[in-house]
Amino acid sequence: MSRNASARRSRAEVALSIGVLLLGVGTAVGTALLPSQGGYARIGPNFMPGVAGAGLILLGLWLLYEVLTGGWRNMPPQEAAARGEHAFHLPAFAWVSSGLFAHMALIQSGGFVLAGAVLFACVARGFGSPRFVRDLAIGFSIALAVFAFFVLVLSVNLPAGWLAPLFRLAGIE
Amino acid sequence: MDGTLQALLHGFEIALLPMNLLWGAIGVTLGTAVGVLPGVGPALTVAMLLPLTVKLSPVGALIMFAGIYYGAMFGGSTTTILLNTPGESASIATALEGNKMAKRGQAGPALATSAIGSFIAGTIATLLVTLLAPLVVEIALKFGPAEYFALMVFAFTTVAAVLGASTVRGLSSLFVGLLLGLVGIDGQTGQPRFAFGVPELLDGVDVVVLAVGLFAVGEALYVGAYASRIPEVMDRISGSLWMSRSDWKRSWPAWLRGTAIGFPFGSIPAGGAEIPTFLSYAVEKKLTRHPGEFGHGAIEGVAGPEAANNASVTGALVPLLTLGIPTSATAAILLAAFQNYGIQPGPMLFQMQADLVWGLIASLYVGNVMLLVLNLPMIGIWVKVLTIPQPLLYGGILVFATLGAYSLHESVVDLATLYVFGLLGFAMRRWDIPVAPAVIGLILGPLAETQFRRALSISQGDPSVFYQHPISASLFAFTALLIVVPWVVRRVNRARAA
Repeated sequence: MSRNASARRSRAEVALSIGVLLLGVGTAVGTALLPSQGGYARIGPNFMPGVAGAGLILLGLWLLYEVLTGGWRNMPPQEAAARGEHAFHLPAFAWVSSGLFAHMALIQSGGFVLAGAVLFACVARGFGSPRFVRDLAIGFSIALAVFAFFVLVLSVNLPAGWLAPLFRLAGIE
Repeated sequence: MDGTLQALLHGFEIALLPMNLLWGAIGVTLGTAVGVLPGVGPALTVAMLLPLTVKLSPVGALIMFAGIYYGAMFGGSTTTILLNTPGESASIATALEGNKMAKRGQAGPALATSAIGSFIAGTIATLLVTLLAPLVVEIALKFGPAEYFALMVFAFTTVAAVLGASTVRGLSSLFVGLLLGLVGIDGQTGQPRFAFGVPELLDGVDVVVLAVGLFAVGEALYVGAYASRIPEVMDRISGSLWMSRSDWKRSWPAWLRGTAIGFPFGSIPAGGAEIPTFLSYAVEKKLTRHPGEFGHGAIEGVAGPEAANNASVTGALVPLLTLGIPTSATAAILLAAFQNYGIQPGPMLFQMQADLVWGLIASLYVGNVMLLVLNLPMIGIWVKVLTIPQPLLYGGILVFATLGAYSLHESVVDLATLYVFGLLGFAMRRWDIPVAPAVIGLILGPLAETQFRRALSISQGDPSVFYQHPISASLFAFTALLIVVPWVVRRVNRARAA
């Protein structure tokens, strides 16, 4: 492993170990705010949270100990090529994430079908598809088919959004 | 014994109703169609298809789920053999020889031995479930809360600490799941915990959102970031689809041995089909008369692990149905599906809702047959599904993943939670933290807490209930041994080597 890769690896491991530790501390603080009245059992709703918090703190410390003594054990290779993968591709990650955010923003107002079409096209773009408009159309047809199936066959309502008048014309409601 | 036969026959009357047969067939077909998609394992398949069953009766829904479960397994094997992308750790052993066979132009026999092996293992294992479940129910009826709690701790330990590459990473995943399980209203006092005043969180974290987030969104983020620029290579099916005489001769002992290895592992609450599949692979490698073929596509190396996988997965229904303890991510989601219908699996289920239980068990037999007759001839179609280009495939997966999360409560909060779990799943995948313990912790944690507090209520707060009852004491002792023995063995070996 090159020195660079090894430094990157241990930085990620430190961050994740501290994350577990902090989650444990947060849980412990949250637990302290819970009431402890226990009735017959003598333990209340704060007992298991306490166990979970203490466990996470101990595990965070254990993970940190592993980082300090040579890194986490039995890890897959740090170099992407050795895992049969390529280096982290930020645009792909960003496109998939944006698709999900756009979907969240659109689903209540624009409706399930439009939100689904945008999500589909963004994800496809992230995976390297160059034809955004074609993907929008494919995503639209898939989401429309799912929408019609849920509304007509399962009678489960999904938000129709801006296209509601069109669906009404088509008899999908 | 007569009682079991009677109950099973009655179960068949239910499972063979035309409507239920139809739900079973739809389940098998959909399960295969989704399970065959690369990167989609059985757990995700079941989680994504959960919303489809909202309007069904409980019996119809569970029969459809049994079909989806089996279909997803079969679909996963197809992908593993043709693409060498095991969708779950239990398929890795299959990939070893299966993909080599496909590369040698023997994809047909590899798929056939996997399908027929799964059928035989599934049928034998279902028969064993039929015989074993009533016996376990007899024992389980004598269990009190202390015993249940001990059993759940045993399941947690094996799933998180004993299996997998690292004890500490497995336990971290489990505890994150346990913490998520605490979110919401405490069932015994009505006290809200870790809900931060968000009304949507009072209901708790839904296992579907967690599973779909970790498996689908996490997987899409991961594959996008690390593997979306690599051309895919698929092995074509060339030559005969059918197995030759010698293929049969070499397959059937492996099927039976795989079943014998897989079932016990599934039926004790020890979790995971991973160990039995590798054990079966090792056994076949040792016993084969064609040692030269191992590593280059030996059919026994596909037949054995596939049978072991199916037998173990079916065996896992014993702890799930009789004790309410899920031992794999897929079983955890099945348990969530039960809970959606207000059904709590456990020994009482066999008495209170015998129709449902035996209808489900009977439908497992039916589902196995359906899988064979529907899917073997349709292999050509499933292979076509594999040729969907990656961008469209993941676009589609995420449309269905978000649908599954959104349709639970029609809430954007669930979608936001889904993305957060997606980020978590990405990190866990990248830094090799197992995902299944978190899913099992989320669903089993609250049940364990309930049993724990119930046991202490009965004993008026005296913790000695856990070690004074012989069954719970021996379960705890066994759990402790499971952790300590491997650790001591490692130490001794290291000392000897030094």
